[in-house]
Amino acid sequence: MVTINYNAPEKSIICSFSGKLDTNTSIQDGETISDRLAAITKTVDPADLKITFDLQDINFISSSFIRICVGTSKQIQTGNFGISHCDPFIKKTFKIAGLDILLKIS
Amino acid sequence: MEGTMQKNADEILERAVLAAAEFQQFDQAHTDRIVEAVYKAGLNARVKLAKMAVEETGIGIWQHKVLKNVLATQIVYESIKDEKTVGVISDNPLTGITEIAQPLGPIFAVTPVTNPTSTAMYKILICLKTRNPVIMSAHRSAAKCTAAAARICYDAALKAGAPEDCIQMIPSGSREFTQTVMAHHKIALILATGGTGLVKAAYSSGNPAIGVGPGNVPVFIDESADLPFAISSIIASKTFDNGTICASEQSIIVEEKIEMQVREEFERQHCYFLTPDEIKKVEKVAVVEETMSMNPLIVGQSVESIAHKAGISVPEKTKILLAKLQGVGKEYPLSHEVLAPILAFYAARDYHHAIHLCIDLNYLGGIGHSAGIYANDEKRVLEFSQVINAGRIVVNTPTSQGAVGGIYNLLVPSLTLGCGTGGKNITTENISARNLINIQRVCHRKMNEKYMSVNRDMYFDEQYDEIALKQEYHKNF
Repeated sequence: MVTINYNAPEKSIICSFSGKLDTNTSIQDGETISDRLAAITKTVDPADLKITFDLQDINFISSSFIRICVGTSKQIQTGNFGISHCDPFIKKTFKIAGLDILLKIS
Repeated sequence: MEGTMQKNADEILERAVLAAAEFQQFDQAHTDRIVEAVYKAGLNARVKLAKMAVEETGIGIWQHKVLKNVLATQIVYESIKDEKTVGVISDNPLTGITEIAQPLGPIFAVTPVTNPTSTAMYKILICLKTRNPVIMSAHRSAAKCTAAAARICYDAALKAGAPEDCIQMIPSGSREFTQTVMAHHKIALILATGGTGLVKAAYSSGNPAIGVGPGNVPVFIDESADLPFAISSIIASKTFDNGTICASEQSIIVEEKIEMQVREEFERQHCYFLTPDEIKKVEKVAVVEETMSMNPLIVGQSVESIAHKAGISVPEKTKILLAKLQGVGKEYPLSHEVLAPILAFYAARDYHHAIHLCIDLNYLGGIGHSAGIYANDEKRVLEFSQVINAGRIVVNTPTSQGAVGGIYNLLVPSLTLGCGTGGKNITTENISARNLINIQRVCHRKMNEKYMSVNRDMYFDEQYDEIALKQEYHKNF
């Protein structure tokens, strides 16, 4: 399940996730994020947006979730997407997927 | 064309890598649930897949393919189900070493035309058990049945919570594409079972590989053997799926003094010794003269079909054709591997000569694979085993079913038999889940007390020789 907080003045979005990010949950969360992003980019240039996926308390991610990370990062300017509060095991997962640098993980 | 091929390979590997990333987070229980679900689905589809394989390839006997599918699912599953393949797999407080299993990553699995569905299911099971996604490449003549086996396993795996794309199939028919995927830098390991060309390609790819190619299995019947038992066992093995298992007997070697008894027993059990003229005719259809490799058109065919192709007539219900040969090598085409119910037969002057023949046959394209001996003299068994270069020497056992393990002995059940360095393999083991993990060793401090008590200045002084250093090393222990 994802909670999305949009800070309009700073043009930044923080998506906080909870629970197990298995395939089904990830697909639902992906749709929620996509819808919200579409609404925001009606008034804001995607190039100015910053997006952070907060993975506090997340200890499992599916390949679908990784795809959502990649898909979301591609919608905004390179370098403006990041993943925060990443558990070491999840960092290793991104490393194995070869995406740790592209997605700016901390 | 080349660019498209590379792009397609990249896409397949990207999916596999994502599957690997998800998979490596699974615990043992989750992994085992997936493996159990896949084994059940595979076992339940054993008859359908066996019939499909025979229909599509025209090779073998469907009932025997069913038994191969049982080996690949039930027998393999029973051997791996309790194995630890995730996380800490051993912890030894005495040595201070803890072992942790890590998956390898995407595995490229090539399957043969002779055992297509069974090899596919076996490879899928051992890959999933070790949390490795698998990319399957089928022989072009067995593409449909292999894809059906992979689909059945994939559907079951997904239902049990496996990652998407944990099993993928690449289209068959393009050798170039297969080699492109094989050589992709994201492939962790190649599990290649098939012909010499394929195995060489696997080893030349630049990626780690376990490739198992041909065998040329010699079987020595010692004078101490129980002849009716031995011959019945050889027939059961060589006729199994019309001789398509690479561990099946290729040559029978006996001493002259028991030749007639052995011949009579073979004949009594409905086997036929070809005349010299008939041998010439069978050679022509069984072995391609230019390459001395078996003719694919006779692989897994029945005796009737082979006799028909060779233009000879043999007694009805003949089980195996035997060709008495005088030597080994190019001049004797049937001394090479032929995966069909044809056996070379040698009557050696004496025991010494018999063993020499076995060595020659073993080195004629079957180094490191398998061999067999029938004997009730353990000294002879050991002598034979020490001069033969084979990963498995099975004793008083049908080699087809014996070498694959799990039925006639306690070898690890497997459809990929390591052939050691002779076969350009890193191992002589029967390949299973244990070969598909990286084992990390967490080593706690355990001092070597002998080394610590040595006056180490002695090492820097040339006046102390090995004897002095040995005394110092063991002093007071």
